[in-house]
Amino acid sequence: MAAEHDLKKKAKELLTKGEVKVVIGFGWNRAGTRTTPVFITRPEDTDRLVFNPLCVNNLSLYLTRKFKDIQALGRPAIVAKGCDIKCIAVLISEGQLKREGVYIIGMTCEGVVYRQELWAGMNPCTRIPEDIMPTKCHNCDVRNPHISDVTIGEKSIFTPPEKPAGMVFDRIKEIDRMGAGERWDFWMEHFSRCIKCYACRQVCPLCYCERCITEKNMPQWIETSAHPRGNLSWNLTRAMHLVGRCTFCGECERACPVNIPLNLINQKMTLIVKDAFNHSPGYSTEVHPPMIVFSPEDKEDFIK
Amino acid sequence: MNKKLLRRDRIGLLIEGVIKDGVFIAPSISERQVVYGPVKEASEITFDYIIPRNSFKDFLFPQTEPVARFKAEKDAVLLEEVKPRPKETVIFGVRPCDAASRASLRSVFTWDFKDEFYTKREERALVITIACTKGDDACFCATVGISPEGSAGSDILLRETEAGDFTVEKVTGKGGSFIDAHPHVFEDSVSGCALKEIFNPEPIGGVNLEKIKEWLKEKNHYENPLWAELSRKCVGCGACTFVCPTCHCFDIIDEGTYASGERRKNWDACQFEYFTLHASGHNPRDTQYKRWRNRFMCKFNFYPEKFKSIGCVGCGRCVRVCPVRLDITEVMAEISGQPGQGGS
Repeated sequence: MAAEHDLKKKAKELLTKGEVKVVIGFGWNRAGTRTTPVFITRPEDTDRLVFNPLCVNNLSLYLTRKFKDIQALGRPAIVAKGCDIKCIAVLISEGQLKREGVYIIGMTCEGVVYRQELWAGMNPCTRIPEDIMPTKCHNCDVRNPHISDVTIGEKSIFTPPEKPAGMVFDRIKEIDRMGAGERWDFWMEHFSRCIKCYACRQVCPLCYCERCITEKNMPQWIETSAHPRGNLSWNLTRAMHLVGRCTFCGECERACPVNIPLNLINQKMTLIVKDAFNHSPGYSTEVHPPMIVFSPEDKEDFIK
Repeated sequence: MNKKLLRRDRIGLLIEGVIKDGVFIAPSISERQVVYGPVKEASEITFDYIIPRNSFKDFLFPQTEPVARFKAEKDAVLLEEVKPRPKETVIFGVRPCDAASRASLRSVFTWDFKDEFYTKREERALVITIACTKGDDACFCATVGISPEGSAGSDILLRETEAGDFTVEKVTGKGGSFIDAHPHVFEDSVSGCALKEIFNPEPIGGVNLEKIKEWLKEKNHYENPLWAELSRKCVGCGACTFVCPTCHCFDIIDEGTYASGERRKNWDACQFEYFTLHASGHNPRDTQYKRWRNRFMCKFNFYPEKFKSIGCVGCGRCVRVCPVRLDITEVMAEISGQPGQGGS
């Protein structure tokens, strides 16, 4: 694949020149069946880098302060799809990262698989079937990366639908039509499966707090028990903390070992924020999420 | 005892008998996944599965349970002990790897203190295992010396026949009594039945358990830079430990209001940053690689050294759920290939 070749070349050049100390990218696992994050520090190892529709992970996670060992390696370059770059933009706008602190290798992308096992045994060089792509790919407006230091890959000519469409949004409409009681039951049933492994939080690039509210126990704000009450408070609190920030990378839902449809709750929030503030996160490194800014033009009076 | 046969259409009768005053756990489908859970009818059970998402430890060592209750009155605090009173629980459709983890759980919960919340449940549990006829690329029981038709930890071992019924092997006395108590369900097998082929995963190339044990014993390997390198991608969630059939760590927390509350025993994970945080503020496992190293050492060093039992049964759940595909078998192979004595 030409893009993969260019990627390896660029990575090698960056490491050789010393422009970056580590390239955060994708490589094959030992069996060559799944992609997995790799951290390349030597120019001679850049051949390990791959890029294909199995590269689902949002690697921008590794730019956050949760990964002090990776930060200690020095200035990183990161292999990022447009959707991953949205997270990087939010991290920069929230002061977590300086734009010049990272070299973004933007990859053009024609969609990735929802989960890697869905494409087991298939040739990753072929085009990915649309029915195993997540909803985010069907609506993607950044198949050509919007922010990057270099862009690699063939230009995509995909045009996303005008209004968000696809499974996640269809299901949101279904839930909106439910009465309050039915909606409560729907969510309680899903949350009841939660095992409090916090994979949703740990894979989220925007969950970068050094001490999460669920770990604050004097007093205990959120019950850590995986009973319905504790699960409800954890999942709702996390959703609220992502309002106006979540970029729909979908990593939380992908990582959830018990299939809680977290995209539904996060995208519902995104639709509300879009409607109320005309804000979509991840397109600019300058604009702050609406929940953390004060504006004299705010339409609410109580805040003035 | 004669050879016995369990016909698939008799499983309903078995459930009926058990749930009169007990619980029947079996694999069924929930939200696109196969899960061990209580069932009331045979139609809820799925037989087409590799391994359920959760391990069967959920029913011996639940994720959360009250261990005491308290109430504050005007000038006294009233304590109420919670006595575990589990019902008879039949766990059906267990895989041999899961069943093998039973000994590991027992050794830790009966070691220096007999944890009745575990032992009472285990005493009242009956494990009916089905030998594996399916597997996937995450299965690695053979690599850790467990057989896909092994009977360790089971009370009864079933093997699927070509016709979809099961041959019955009594493993423990308890299993035998259970078979005898249900003569209308377990029938005498008249002739030999053709069995479905067992799924035998290939041992993973380059893995040598003895070598791993030896390498881990060497003190100067504890600070080997390999640990940080191998676990760099770990995101520090608890998915691997919570689906693991042998992970057993828990936390004790108090929950409630000023007036009353509960003391609960909740699963905890060595992968969490706050797992080892001391009251002083010091954290001996202050970065992720130290936490990941602990999990690996627990399975392949602490367990074998302390309990002479295995800490990993090769079910592959941790490999399947890991969001960054940090594959324990890759680390096993890497360490097996390290230079031995004194090398670093």
